[in-house]
Amino acid sequence: MHLKKIFFIALITTCSLSTQAQLSGGFESNSSVYIDDKKINLDQIESGNRFRSNTYLRLDYRFEKFTAGVQVESYEPKSLLNYSPNFKGVNLGTYYVNYKNDSLRLDLTAGHFYEQFGSGLVFRSWEDRQLGIANSIAGVRVKYAPFTPLQVTALYGKQRNGLGFDFTNSKVLGINAELDVANLLKAKKIKYAIGLNYVNRQEESNSNILPSSTWLTSVSGKAQNGGFSAEAEYAFKSADALVEFGNVRPDLQFDGDAYLFNVGYSKKGLGINLSMRRLENFAFYSQRNLAGNANNEGIVNYIPSLTKQHDYSLGNIYIYQAQPGLRFETGRNKAGEIGGQLDVIYQFKKDTQLGGKYGTNISLNFAQWHGLQGVYDAPTRRYKADLFAFGEKYYRETSIEIRKKWSPKLLSVVTYLNQYYNAKYVAETLGEVDANTGITENVLKVGKHNSVKLELQHQWATGELKNWAASQLEFNVGERWSFFALDLYNYGNPDPLKRIHFYNTGVVFKKDAIRVQTSYGRQRGGLVCVGGVCRFVPQSAGLNLALNASF
Amino acid sequence: MKIYILVLLSIILSSPGVSAQQIPDVKLDDLQGKSFNTGLLNKADAKVTVLAFWATWCIPCINELSTVNDNLDDWKKKYQFDFYAVSEDDSRTINRVKPLVNGKNWDFTVLLDKNQDLKRKLNVMNVPYTMIIKGGKIIYKHSGFVIGDEEALLKVIKDNQ
Repeated sequence: MHLKKIFFIALITTCSLSTQAQLSGGFESNSSVYIDDKKINLDQIESGNRFRSNTYLRLDYRFEKFTAGVQVESYEPKSLLNYSPNFKGVNLGTYYVNYKNDSLRLDLTAGHFYEQFGSGLVFRSWEDRQLGIANSIAGVRVKYAPFTPLQVTALYGKQRNGLGFDFTNSKVLGINAELDVANLLKAKKIKYAIGLNYVNRQEESNSNILPSSTWLTSVSGKAQNGGFSAEAEYAFKSADALVEFGNVRPDLQFDGDAYLFNVGYSKKGLGINLSMRRLENFAFYSQRNLAGNANNEGIVNYIPSLTKQHDYSLGNIYIYQAQPGLRFETGRNKAGEIGGQLDVIYQFKKDTQLGGKYGTNISLNFAQWHGLQGVYDAPTRRYKADLFAFGEKYYRETSIEIRKKWSPKLLSVVTYLNQYYNAKYVAETLGEVDANTGITENVLKVGKHNSVKLELQHQWATGELKNWAASQLEFNVGERWSFFALDLYNYGNPDPLKRIHFYNTGVVFKKDAIRVQTSYGRQRGGLVCVGGVCRFVPQSAGLNLALNASF
Repeated sequence: MKIYILVLLSIILSSPGVSAQQIPDVKLDDLQGKSFNTGLLNKADAKVTVLAFWATWCIPCINELSTVNDNLDDWKKKYQFDFYAVSEDDSRTINRVKPLVNGKNWDFTVLLDKNQDLKRKLNVMNVPYTMIIKGGKIIYKHSGFVIGDEEALLKVIKDNQ
């Protein structure tokens, strides 16, 4: 408590002393009133609170080389459906003071901060309100560049889990060093740099065979020469207890590692990129028993699924989630994943047959992921995975997106998506799904400031849900108003009761940095994913209001 | 705890001399690996600058940047301004940024906001989000993009020459 008091006194003093200070902030509020209809009812346990709201107010105060800030969060009367139960009431979410001095090459932070080491494979703390991720570290961070090509970051603290004074049961230490080798050697043409990362979790346990400290370390390198670029990273995790459904097993300890490669080439009109990754037992949480939890609590390292992220609703029904974890179950053993994705983007030149008058753009993506091949023995909890061999197929996706401007007033985007989704392994449910999805989006500009958008989608799929159809119509009037109506219909569902129209209609008002959106309708149950991290939302119906503003 | 929050908020909101928002100092890399310090936009003699926040997976963002790119030559002939597209892609999609920018023939500078530091500091909630800066002051903010919004953007550029 003492620390908190000192912190607040310091914060308040900083704020009140400043006469030349600058204030900025942001406000966001998302509320829902859940209303049952003929087909969709709120779960009995949840139905006690039909009005729910998540609200965030962020304020930053800048005075010369100091910045101080707070974020107040409110989950009253209750947080929106399926957010972590740790988000409750009203309290500070984050608070910090930062001192930044460029001539000393120093950047100091006390309080909450966000940070990412390199690709994030060993450490990333960030905020994503849609996913309920707020895993900032509360403690101290120092960033220092002893000389120009070298940048060092060191941090120490506890990880936020819930509101600003709730933490997981460990202390996290992280060190990152990035050396710009090309700059050091004064290389002109080729650029290359190396990075070293170390993260340590100190967590006490009742067991005397479980070490209190567990660590991740990685080394990475990247190079760039003209249009070519390449990156590689190897990471290792020290032995940690196996966690099965929240139970920590000190008697069973496994280490893990990760390989990440990326090569790319691009020039005007053409871009190619290939990413490959192998993960073996590489999930890492700031508290052991949080391993694999559904609320994304305690995440220390960032393991996104390396597949294309879709913006269209039917492209988001079968989403691959990265599989870094270890799980023993006869007939469904998992120790990690191996696979990759390839992107090719090409622009047909204007005034050619395929390019037309305004040019045509084409994007191709191919991704395929497998489990690790190896010898697994679930009853004894033993396994040995092969280094570069593909096991069970988890996911495959091929997509093509063609963007064509017909005239200065009319734009079309056509997308075709073919997916294979192994639900048995990826979602740990049953079966496999093959899905083909066709999508067209057409935007017509009307007059100088208005536009109409029509989106049509269809999905042909096997599995439990079968076929879907979806459409969306949007009118944008001037800069300020948008009106939309959309419907997703699972007409192919073998169960007639589940052939539901997920319709939604609403209005958006925008003025400067203020945005207000209100809508009424139904929300499809499933995964909401951002950057490959997902949150499950149950299906619901009702009225929604979203407000955000910055100043 | 709530009492602290109330005290803090009232002090912040009532304190004197609070001036308009300036651009925080964040170092971002461009696609060639050259770093750009956003604090430079606070210089009084800096050109009118557009910052367009976007991501490779965001369709309206691609619509905005493609529209801007189609008009860029024409606009630049008439007016003095800088245009930066700030990518909010995280490590899931960051490797798609360069192929996409080149594949689409975009002619403006793209900056990488890898862990969303600039986005957070400027209180940008969602992409697309566009702001115009003049002499260190934010003179225009707009959330979202629909075809037609580029006209409003152009008008602000034009009115601030």
